[in-house]
Amino acid sequence: MILQNLSIKRKLTLITMLTSSAALILSALSFLIYDLVSFRHLLIQDLMTQAEIIGYNSAGAMEFKDVSAATATLSALTAKEDVVTAGLYGRDSKMFAHYSRNNNVIPLLLPAHSQDKGYRFEAGYLQVFHDVTLNGERLGTLFLQSDMRQWSLRAKRYAGILCIFVLISGLFALLVSSRLQRLISRPILHLEDTMRMVSANRNYGVRATKSYGDEIGRLIDGFNTMLSEIQQRDTALRGANEELKARTGELEKEILYRKQTQEELLKAKHIAEEASRAKSTFLANMSHELRTPLNAIIGYSEMLEEETRELGKSDSVQDLRKIQSAGKHLLSLINDVLDLSKIEAGKMGLHLENFEVAPLIDEMATTLTPAAAKNGNTIHVHVANTLGAMHADVTKVRQILFNLLSNACKFTDHGTISVDVDESKVEGRDWIRFRVSDTGIGISAKQKENLFHEFSQADASIARKYGGTGLGLAITYRFVQLMKGRISVESAPGKGATFTVYLPAQVIAETSETTRPMASSDPAPSSDESKARKDTILVIDDDASVRDLMSRFLSKLGFHVVAAASGEEGVRLARQVRPLVITLDVVMPECDGWTVLKKLKSDSSLAEIPVIMVTIVDNEAMGLDLGASNYLIKPVDRDRLAVLIEKHRTGRSASITGAPATPFISSISSSRKGQKESELKSSRKVDHAKDLVSRR
Amino acid sequence: MPKILLVEDNEMNRDMLSRRLQRKGYSVISAHDGEQGHLLACSEMPDLILMDISLPLMNGWEVTRLLKSSESTRHIPIIALTAHALVTDRDKAFEAGCDDYDTKPIEFGRLSEKIENLLVAKRVP
Repeated sequence: MILQNLSIKRKLTLITMLTSSAALILSALSFLIYDLVSFRHLLIQDLMTQAEIIGYNSAGAMEFKDVSAATATLSALTAKEDVVTAGLYGRDSKMFAHYSRNNNVIPLLLPAHSQDKGYRFEAGYLQVFHDVTLNGERLGTLFLQSDMRQWSLRAKRYAGILCIFVLISGLFALLVSSRLQRLISRPILHLEDTMRMVSANRNYGVRATKSYGDEIGRLIDGFNTMLSEIQQRDTALRGANEELKARTGELEKEILYRKQTQEELLKAKHIAEEASRAKSTFLANMSHELRTPLNAIIGYSEMLEEETRELGKSDSVQDLRKIQSAGKHLLSLINDVLDLSKIEAGKMGLHLENFEVAPLIDEMATTLTPAAAKNGNTIHVHVANTLGAMHADVTKVRQILFNLLSNACKFTDHGTISVDVDESKVEGRDWIRFRVSDTGIGISAKQKENLFHEFSQADASIARKYGGTGLGLAITYRFVQLMKGRISVESAPGKGATFTVYLPAQVIAETSETTRPMASSDPAPSSDESKARKDTILVIDDDASVRDLMSRFLSKLGFHVVAAASGEEGVRLARQVRPLVITLDVVMPECDGWTVLKKLKSDSSLAEIPVIMVTIVDNEAMGLDLGASNYLIKPVDRDRLAVLIEKHRTGRSASITGAPATPFISSISSSRKGQKESELKSSRKVDHAKDLVSRR
Repeated sequence: MPKILLVEDNEMNRDMLSRRLQRKGYSVISAHDGEQGHLLACSEMPDLILMDISLPLMNGWEVTRLLKSSESTRHIPIIALTAHALVTDRDKAFEAGCDDYDTKPIEFGRLSEKIENLLVAKRVP
């Protein structure tokens, strides 16, 4: 509807105008009608009075049948404009005289006969019949007919006035209403404007102005309250948002920082590991180099001692013995360093075998009796009767016991050293418990902290007084760990010390990265399996023809060949098949040979696998720096390759083949049967004990 | 007088060990590298060989393998002398065919015992 969609301003104006006009028109109309009705009544009265007067005046003429007098009387009606016709009827009801406004016109309108007195409206005319009487005697009837001219004139004039009045008052109402509607429309329009502004600019700071205390005023109040709430929330939200942004920024910075730190740490770790490896290698080499001259020193002094003894020069014998013992001491230190470096480099393997525990303990006690006697100590041994054999690395068990016992002897003066060995079951596993206690100087709580760390003797004065490198317990600790055992100490200064070692009765070989999967790892590896492992060569080359040629050539030599067309695949296959040797190309798409080599060498489980570079790139130094074993330039000298691979095969096979539990016996017994076995076995044990003694 | 071949590249060790062996009553011939050692073993047919492992030209394992693969020299007992006290060295020694092994620095008493054992064993069959 058009009306409904009009603006509120228009609506208000229109409503006011229509209402006021309707009221005006209605009242004016009712007034008009009333006036016209009463005016008509007046006209009737007037005509009837006129009829009475005319009737009275014409009564004489009627009495005397004087037509002209009667006509003259009637013609007095000319003064009355609205009387159109008039007539006088005799007693016989016949026309006696008549009058017409327009003289010459015979009034056809005149009724032929008189009718009953009274008034009536006939065809728009007012007709009046009046009895003419004289002295109470009816003489005839007077008829008057009016065209009501005055009435219609009045009606017309009134209608005109009414129209003008309605028009003027309508205009006035428009004027007034258009002013008054502002009272209502202005605040609403203002509210609307404000709302539009808020929604367009999202500016919740604007407020609508309240003009009056009416409903609209309250509406504006409500609106403003709503706006304030929204504004508050908006501000809070914005604040939270900014805080969030700031925090996100901080977090990002933190993450970046941590990432950098992590990278630096990784780098540092690699460098440290590299340094550690280099150190271990250096120590191993150094130890070897040191031992050669030491060999000569000890050997010559022994020889000289024998000679001088034969010649009977006892003074020199003593001195020569001192040279010998100093040499042997130095040797034991070097051996300790070598052992530790081997442990650190992850090259200390386990050589597992079955052996009886009790004889081992006896042997150790015997070996150390002279050392104990030196400080006036006695050794007591208690071995549980039930104790049988254990499966472990006997050399290391021996060294553990030796270290603990010799320490006990060293730090005890005229006391007792006891060795208790028994078996216990913890967490469903069988453990052998070795306890070495003494009545010596003991260890303080602070000293205990670093007891099993390298190069940490309780304090410097101890090193001066008792000697030693401080490596003994560190090595002991590492050996115990290597066999998955535990070591602990109970002691207080002056109260002696008790070292307790738990070793699994059945040590299980570790094949993790730290120890090489060598001889000891599996007591009886299936020969097929080891062979399969031994004979695989991994060829990494992106050139299919090279892969094909290498595969054929190496297969002829009796190797199983696995080929990879890319660096990534190569590294993956290396992990999977653990080849004997890897041949590696340098120029490859995506992941080049240097990268592959770095990856292989940085993975501790793969680092041991020899890599032979086979490439057209002439950069041997780079290859060897990165850890390649050999460097061959294409086209490959096949014989040289065969020799190199064969070399690695023999090298590895010696270390991989499961060492027999008693290699001495097995090898010797093949040449000469039985009879000397037990003798050899015992002599070997004594050898080891002597070896240990000589190393200390 | 049993004849012992000592293959050792370090001059001092060679001198010291050969003198001590001589004092024990052995006749000693010595070689300073692997090739010479192999040649002397073949020409002199010693009763026993003391074989250092890290040797120039041809290492102890190779010489041992060669001698043990030849019909004429297979019977000669060989004691490997290694500088490293590694388990792998011991395994390598037996793998190569050595009859016994000992670690340096030499404990002379222990070594003479081993020599005696092998010489006795050789005489018995």
